[in-house]
Amino acid sequence: MTVKQYISLMDTMARLSLKAEAQRYYLGYLWWVLEPLLWVGVFYVVFYELLGTRTPDFLMFLAVGKLMFIWFSKTVNYAGNSLMSNQGLIGRMDLPKSLFPMTVILECAYRQIAVFLLLFVLILADGVTPSWLWFWLLPLALVQLALIIFAGCVASVLVAFQRDFALLINLGTVFMMFVSGVFWDINDIVNESAAQALLTWNPIAFLLHSYRQVMLWGQAPDVAHLLVLGLLTFVAMAATLYLMGRYGPHLARRVVSA
Amino acid sequence: MSFGLSGAGGGDHRVLNNLDLEIQQGERIGLVGRNGAGKSTLLRIIGGIYPPAGGTVWRDPKKTVALLSIGLGFKGDLSGRDNALLAAMLQGMTRREAKQRLDAIGEFTELGEFFEQPVKTYSSGMRSRLGFATGLLLDTDILLLDEILAVGDQGFRQKAREALRERLAPDKTVILVHHMEQAIKEICHRAVWLEQGQVRDDGNAAEVLAAYSADANR
Repeated sequence: MTVKQYISLMDTMARLSLKAEAQRYYLGYLWWVLEPLLWVGVFYVVFYELLGTRTPDFLMFLAVGKLMFIWFSKTVNYAGNSLMSNQGLIGRMDLPKSLFPMTVILECAYRQIAVFLLLFVLILADGVTPSWLWFWLLPLALVQLALIIFAGCVASVLVAFQRDFALLINLGTVFMMFVSGVFWDINDIVNESAAQALLTWNPIAFLLHSYRQVMLWGQAPDVAHLLVLGLLTFVAMAATLYLMGRYGPHLARRVVSA
Repeated sequence: MSFGLSGAGGGDHRVLNNLDLEIQQGERIGLVGRNGAGKSTLLRIIGGIYPPAGGTVWRDPKKTVALLSIGLGFKGDLSGRDNALLAAMLQGMTRREAKQRLDAIGEFTELGEFFEQPVKTYSSGMRSRLGFATGLLLDTDILLLDEILAVGDQGFRQKAREALRERLAPDKTVILVHHMEQAIKEICHRAVWLEQGQVRDDGNAAEVLAAYSADANR
């Protein structure tokens, strides 16, 4: 299969899957923005109205964190099950195994475009004026996408070898939500070295913090850190895709016999 | 070659056991055997879907191979047309090529307006018709057919066999798994009888089928 065929097939599979999903629900494509909005609403009620968090402009703070985090967590969890949910097809056709998690990742990326637009509308409605700093959103999104591809593909292989990993991955993403500053500000950590360590070693925490710097606080992200994270993530992504291709038939045997 | 599968309960099941088989270009071979004999597994190993656990499979790298089976990953919420598009692309066509073939596929299936309806509304026979029509699209050197002729009503099955015969050029190699002797006799020159993962008989299709039937009726 050529790269062009792979991309065309991945795109068609993703679009048709989104079409099939939209046809299952009465509100159809509207859920692309409604579901993330509802998540933000739930967290806002709990942390702001009930628990009284004092983070300034909490609604926008939460919206940026939650909407960007959902992209990561949902995609990785769905991608994790992509090989096993296509057992029949994998057992009948010699296809690149990375096609399955990549299709899921592309589906979620298409949904995320709508979420990004929603976020822009919310931020503009809140009175924030876009600046040239918003161009940093593109490299931030690309690095997050590479991270999602790496994590999603690894998750799909792990679940193919042992289904228990699906539960662990789900728990892992919940854990990440709590330690990545989705609904609390990393700047509120009293211990500065702990805060710095979190930003250094937790790529999701760094990305969410960077999104807020760009969209809410008029600051550029830490460019050096972003470069290093980007490089490591792209290398990890490339290595994972290569290995999935190299050991595809063995992976197929594992999936079929699971 | 040998091939085994590990069960979820931890046990191993040997599907193919020291099987030795040679196939020449242009041969049309029917694979027969009881359920669990290893026929479909053999097709998948020949098709390169997964490797054997032991031994080797050699195929001329310049020859293309395709495994055709029914209901290739159909999505119930999508229409027959959308599923046909997906199936065609999964079998190597570009999106443009696949779109150009859709009307012909729809006509061949005889599904009429159902072609535009979600596949989840189809009967098993209708799904089989769609699977066969999309399965016949490819023009490959080696065709592996897994029960693809066991589709639809008698009229459609006859039409399917005729369509398959029309597509088979003399230099095309075919390996057919089918439970109906008539289909194998019509299409294949040679038959291989698999039992417990090994070749029990291999030779003229009529003779092997007669021996297999006699054994099955005992």
